[in-house]
Amino acid sequence: MDYDTYAPLASWFESTWVGEQMRNIFWLFPAMETVHFIGLTIMFGSLLVIDVRVLGFGRFINMGSALKFIPIAIGAFSINLLSGIAFLCADPFRYFPNIAFQWKMGLIVIAGINALWFWFGEHDELKQLADGEDADFRAKVIAALSLAIWVAVIIFGRMIPYVEY
Amino acid sequence: MGFLLWLEEGPMGIFIRESLWGYPIVLSSHAVGMATVMGVVVALNFRVLGYAKDISILAFDKLFVIGWVGFIINLLSGLILFCGSASVYLFQGSFQLKIGFIVVGGILMKVIMNKVRSENGAADGMTKLISAACIACWFGGVITGRLMAYL
Repeated sequence: MDYDTYAPLASWFESTWVGEQMRNIFWLFPAMETVHFIGLTIMFGSLLVIDVRVLGFGRFINMGSALKFIPIAIGAFSINLLSGIAFLCADPFRYFPNIAFQWKMGLIVIAGINALWFWFGEHDELKQLADGEDADFRAKVIAALSLAIWVAVIIFGRMIPYVEY
Repeated sequence: MGFLLWLEEGPMGIFIRESLWGYPIVLSSHAVGMATVMGVVVALNFRVLGYAKDISILAFDKLFVIGWVGFIINLLSGLILFCGSASVYLFQGSFQLKIGFIVVGGILMKVIMNKVRSENGAADGMTKLISAACIACWFGGVITGRLMAYL
């Protein structure tokens, strides 16, 4: 990304109160990292229950109950969105030009669209599914995409410190 | 100590320190494995603690296959990472705590499932208490693992 395109936005993030705290309190950044990791595990766990049920491997799970993990996934995502914004404020000029960060953000947007497709296209129909009944093919595609995209998000996130130059 | 240095100087230790992409790739695998193991751990314990009660706790027996796949990914990637600086990690407090948390957390998973089985699928107060301790251990493992970079 071109420096001039992201510089104004990056300067704003850098100047925020959160950014200042993240840079000045030495333990805050590592603390946020652990929060980000805990959020990651709760979110991935919730998605695992839902996606594994839809894909059929977890057919023994009651679909209505599996879908109860959606609010937990959203809650955990919110934790990670907030801790993620805190990282960004700490050092935006490091993140904006970072290729792994850019891919991660792009994939999260795609995962979000995929989740909306699941919610508006499949959710009501899936809720009616009887115990042990197979989900339709389209729902399975969404579930497989969800797992694959989030695994990629984790990988790109973990790569951020190693693709700087 | 001799063994630790032997690990560090062996091919695996050299690979993980010197290959450009070796470390980030193995570290990413470790994060994906973590998400998989922790995913199953979180889901089981949320259920035992009373969330999504329509799911049978004993049904999780089948989900453990996924958890074990994640665990094996992390055992292997963890061993490779360990070879990189074995003599540092072994004496690092955060690493020792992390391994302790994982061992205790793993045992508690087994204890929970055995108790639930003996109660025909139900979770009583004691089981819930163990479940809370179990998830605390596993979160402790994630936290101390992340803090190995700092402490």
